Amino acid sequence: MTTLHQGAAARPRVDRSLAIFGWLVFAFLYLPIVVVVVFSFSGSESVGRWGGFSLRWYEQMLGSEQLLNSLENSVVVALISTAVATVLGTAAALSLDRYRRWVGRGAFDGLLYLPVIIPDVTMAVMLLLWFTSTGVIPLGRGSITLAHIAFLISFVAIVVRARLAHMDPAMEDAAADLYANRWQTFRRVTLPLIMPGVLGGALLALTLSLDDVVITSFVQGPGSTTLPVYVFGLIRRTVTPVINAVSTLMIVVSMVLVLASLLFQNRTGRRTESKESDQ
Amino acid sequence: MKLLDERETVEGQEVNPRLERRARRQESWRGFFHAAPAYVYLTFFFVLPLLIIFVFSFASRSNTGKPLLENWNLDSWTRLADPLVRTIAVRSLTMAIANTVLCLLIAYPFAYWIATRARQRTRTLLLIAVLIPFWSNFLVRTYAWRMLLDSDGYITQFGELTGLWGRMLFTQPAVFIGLVYGYLPFMVLPLYAALERMDWSLVEAGRDLYASGSKAFRKITLPLSKPGIIAGSILVFIPSLGAYVTPDILGGARTNLLGNLIVTQFQAARNWPFGSAISGAILIVMLVATMIYFRTGGRTI
Amino acid sequence: MNNRAAAVSLHGVTKRFGEDVVAVDDVDLEIRDGEFFSLLGPSGCGKTTTLRMIAGLEFPTEGSVRIHGEEMGLRSPDKRPVNTVFQSYALFPHMNVADNVAFGLKMKKIDDSEVRRRVGEAIDLVRLTGLDDRSPNALSGGQQQRVALARALVNQPAVLLLDEPLGALDLKLRQTMQLELKDIQNEVGITFVYVTHDQGEALTMSDRIGVMDEGRLAQFGPPEDIYESPQNLFVAGFVGQMCHLSAVVAEPGSVRLKGGELVGARTTTPNGTGVTLTVRPEKLSLYASASEAPQGRNALKGSIARRTFYGESLEYEVQLGASGSIEVRVENIPSIRRWSVGDQVIIDFHPEAAIALTE
Repeated sequence: MTTLHQGAAARPRVDRSLAIFGWLVFAFLYLPIVVVVVFSFSGSESVGRWGGFSLRWYEQMLGSEQLLNSLENSVVVALISTAVATVLGTAAALSLDRYRRWVGRGAFDGLLYLPVIIPDVTMAVMLLLWFTSTGVIPLGRGSITLAHIAFLISFVAIVVRARLAHMDPAMEDAAADLYANRWQTFRRVTLPLIMPGVLGGALLALTLSLDDVVITSFVQGPGSTTLPVYVFGLIRRTVTPVINAVSTLMIVVSMVLVLASLLFQNRTGRRTESKESDQ
Repeated sequence: MKLLDERETVEGQEVNPRLERRARRQESWRGFFHAAPAYVYLTFFFVLPLLIIFVFSFASRSNTGKPLLENWNLDSWTRLADPLVRTIAVRSLTMAIANTVLCLLIAYPFAYWIATRARQRTRTLLLIAVLIPFWSNFLVRTYAWRMLLDSDGYITQFGELTGLWGRMLFTQPAVFIGLVYGYLPFMVLPLYAALERMDWSLVEAGRDLYASGSKAFRKITLPLSKPGIIAGSILVFIPSLGAYVTPDILGGARTNLLGNLIVTQFQAARNWPFGSAISGAILIVMLVATMIYFRTGGRTI
Repeated sequence: MNNRAAAVSLHGVTKRFGEDVVAVDDVDLEIRDGEFFSLLGPSGCGKTTTLRMIAGLEFPTEGSVRIHGEEMGLRSPDKRPVNTVFQSYALFPHMNVADNVAFGLKMKKIDDSEVRRRVGEAIDLVRLTGLDDRSPNALSGGQQQRVALARALVNQPAVLLLDEPLGALDLKLRQTMQLELKDIQNEVGITFVYVTHDQGEALTMSDRIGVMDEGRLAQFGPPEDIYESPQNLFVAGFVGQMCHLSAVVAEPGSVRLKGGELVGARTTTPNGTGVTLTVRPEKLSLYASASEAPQGRNALKGSIARRTFYGESLEYEVQLGASGSIEVRVENIPSIRRWSVGDQVIIDFHPEAAIALTE
């Protein structure tokens, strides 16, 4: 079969219009971010106007104790929730991909997709109600972490599942044939082969956790806010260019994470995928 | 099963004919075992909370806003029929649909463009380029538009000068731009995946049978990419129904959507049962939409 | 029956998937120690499923699988003294050649110096010396196949299972590998169970062949028996080429064709049964007249309808009138006369070469 990129060498005029459109979309996607970064170095008090190069907003940002506190919370919550969600999500992906018939599989498959599409407002509400009505867990860092794990598991599972589907099932057969028991097969064959997927899922989870605003704002307690929620509060109160500086920081962090994940996936993924590209 | 008794003692050794059933049961247990931790976790922190929403929606409101689990009533649900609520609901629905449609119209040619690049490397780089802004914090991206559309900013000035538009901030169009900006990648990725998987030789066959370029597109490419369209639409429509951050930052008080309405119930208005009812209603819409998706043969995301 | 001599024995093995799919149907088989045994058949005949049941990757719905007399039961593959060479080779891409080959030994906790020695020997055996450090992706198809072989053999299994291992290789390479595999098997002396759909491959390499058709074992025995004395129409048609003519048994050792001719043949059924007379095209010779043909054998009259040139041979389609048509294959050598379309000929063959089959 010929795929799109092999066959659809479009008529030159159409192709050029498509390309122009494509670059316009890219401009649309990047313009706002670029502007934020650029203006974080602007000395003007007014958010939208350029006022000469200055680092004052960065100084202000680094001097704010509240901000640094919320940053710490963000990181702690993100690391813990990512770790737990990655383990649970990977196990869930294995259960669906490697075992085709077990009690409740269908329901689990469906259940796993719900957190991905549910609006975060709804999830925020239901978790708040849940925590306050059961009263077991007080609202604070703990509740935020538990809430994050709840939606992160699904994302990890999706990414790992995609990776599992790529893997030749004969690999595990071969390992068993060569005297590896189930745990050894997992540790020495399956896990190394799906590792790019697991790490990709973990990075996705980390990003989503650091990103979250609505759910966190609902289930947080006094003194345990996270960075995005803190910034959100800032935006609602008064918009000052400090926000530009914080935003730039967050953008840089995201980009570093994405590039790191891609580099890693490329390095390990290339070894296992070149065989498929020969077909 | 004719061999059962015969074979049970072959040369003095017992043969178990039920091997396969035991093997299958073992496998079934192992599958469950792998899923169990996530299953339990999600039951506790997703399924039960989901049900709690409905429970609370029937509760009554107290002075502190926290619901009293007595005096069960349908007040919150009847309030959904309120004209105010209905206006907001209709507005949210229209916004969500318009957002989905516009995202589709922009994302489709864009995804098609990327998918038709000849070299794998080009396609990968373009995809990464799409993902980078997507990976940036959602809040930051929305704030960026807040900044761009600020009354002091260049865009507003430009609009006033040329007379094309007035104040942009805190208007519905501003929210709209923010929504499209936020959800566009959710539409691009599934579309790209569907187009990439497509068998182009089917289109070639169509051309061979005298279909013109645009006809071939309408009758072959478009239907074949339907799964991508549906997946992307679900990924955009449902979350935008409950959008909160974007309308809050870009729309201000004037543009009140369902998301804002819900959040208000848990803050200023202190009416938790009502907030639960609205959330419940959105949930039902979401479940219906998902069922339609799977019913039309949707694949997993 | 001395079970200890049998490397693998299958009794009444059946495998069903769901309600209606019967992949393997009541197969009884004894594979002798040290022999090269092939399971031959078209796609979907159940040969791979049978192999997997020996390996432990599937379990029989009914019946028993024994290796050296020991009932395997529910034992998982890691507890069976067999190793498999997979169709896709299934080499671990994240390990180099040496680590791949060493895998089974490491799982059995054999100590390092011993592992190194045996891995070295195995790699030499398959003639990949010096390639220890390579990654599987950096190897050609043929080399990957050898690594898979080494990885299995190094564990000195009681039985080696091979699932169409040469399928992905091109013709010339396949032919070379066939000889090499046979040599290795002779050298190592391990029982080989070889699955293939290529009947030429099975005929050249095997000590005995088991032909499978839709889950059932159609016939098994040495290659000569399978080729010269097929027991049913499926085996006759699947292995090598075969001509078919409708006939009726006239008396033991003789059948009458539709056109009335009496032909000497091997019969197994009573007089009067409808049979299909089968004979291999290369066992037929053509002569201009009956006097030229050897006496005391079958002679049929016909005319050449078509001639096809195959390079090393020519095939003639000869019309026999009411009895049907028959293909004759003749070597392309100067001493054999070339015929043209329309020529009247006599087809001569030995009665032993013709077999009357009923199903």
